[in-house]
Amino acid sequence: MTSTLSNKQSLALAVEPEAGKRKLSTAKAMQEAISQRMARDESVFVMGEDVGAYGGIFSSTTGLLDTFGPERVRDTPISESAFIGLGIGPAVEGMRPIVELMFADFFGVCMDQIYNHMAKIHYESGGNVRVPMVLMMAAGGGYSDGAQHSQCLWGTFAHLPGMKVVVPSNPYDAKGLMTAAIESDDPVVFVFHKGVMGLGWMAKNERSIGAVPEEEYVVPIGKARVSREGTDVTIVTISLSVHHSLDVAEKLASEGISVEVIDLRSLVPLDREAIVRSVSKTGRLIVVDEDYQSFGLSGEVIAVVAEHDPTLLKRVSRVCVPDVPIPYAHELEYAVLPTPARIEAAVRDAVAK
Amino acid sequence: MTDVTFPLMSGVDGASGVIVTWFVESGDEVTPTTLIAEVAVDKVDADVYPPTSGVITLLAEENTEIRQGTVIAQVT
Repeated sequence: MTSTLSNKQSLALAVEPEAGKRKLSTAKAMQEAISQRMARDESVFVMGEDVGAYGGIFSSTTGLLDTFGPERVRDTPISESAFIGLGIGPAVEGMRPIVELMFADFFGVCMDQIYNHMAKIHYESGGNVRVPMVLMMAAGGGYSDGAQHSQCLWGTFAHLPGMKVVVPSNPYDAKGLMTAAIESDDPVVFVFHKGVMGLGWMAKNERSIGAVPEEEYVVPIGKARVSREGTDVTIVTISLSVHHSLDVAEKLASEGISVEVIDLRSLVPLDREAIVRSVSKTGRLIVVDEDYQSFGLSGEVIAVVAEHDPTLLKRVSRVCVPDVPIPYAHELEYAVLPTPARIEAAVRDAVAK
Repeated sequence: MTDVTFPLMSGVDGASGVIVTWFVESGDEVTPTTLIAEVAVDKVDADVYPPTSGVITLLAEENTEIRQGTVIAQVT
């Protein structure tokens, strides 16, 4: 059996064009990417919990129901295994579903559909059947939502073969990566941190609002961005921690400490070249990750450098969530999150030796 | 000169809200399709577009309580 991929009408989308002047929040940038794609390609549809009338509880799908109607924007029951399977079916037949899991934390009830089916059908079919599906989910803490609604968990998806994993930090990348994810013939897990969406009711970082081209474009999956150039120490990070790292880098620049910030943007594929290139320059590596510390992204990034050339590393450390459930109490939660204060301390420690 | 007012979202006289985000700055050129602000009343958000084209001047700050109906910007 061969899946018939949908009519690909946009092979010539711009790749990372100039941002221009028009500003959006990350949430609105995601909505725009989905909306523009749905307008051009009838095989794209959206499905998940509260994606319709509510517009996604973190505003990832606001306005889509009004524009495209209930046939193409479908609210589902709280039945994650069923509706992720319901996305995989049309995907293998050539449609391009965008399925929202709501919280990343909820994957526990539907992981078989994700990692044994969505991620493995292409391999199991000998490459004959593609699964061009986007699995979208919110991640991250910082707003007292407790241990079961505050996790990042992107490292878990990245660990399991067969899925691309993207985690944008800003409006520009969110739109370009969403378009790239929908265009991809492989399953893409699109994780957005609630703290980068630019929502009024969350703690809002100014970096969650930014210039976004009005036309469609792609940010290539698997390509990191040097968010800030520096010479003393490299911070490799992702998502909301990019904002914190840039804030710290700006602060320390006035003291003559030059911090380079690499926004990975994708975990799978991982831009290993970008990591090695930066550490070759600075010799000092700090990995900042809001996911759990052990067996995850931070160890992988350090291993990339060590396998390439361990003598590059003069200093290495990581600022992650220690291996504990995320506390509900504000003070305790902020004691485990990779806060600007923890990142700053790590940078000072790295350049002191 | 055309006023841009905080939308009347509650239907209650004297009710307030906040400007969540200004997407433009004073001096920017705007048109009726330019998203200029997102405002919120309780947890309900609304997008604000200017009624006419021109150069915008912002008259209110983000994240402060504002009475609905207040002039928050002018377009000249």
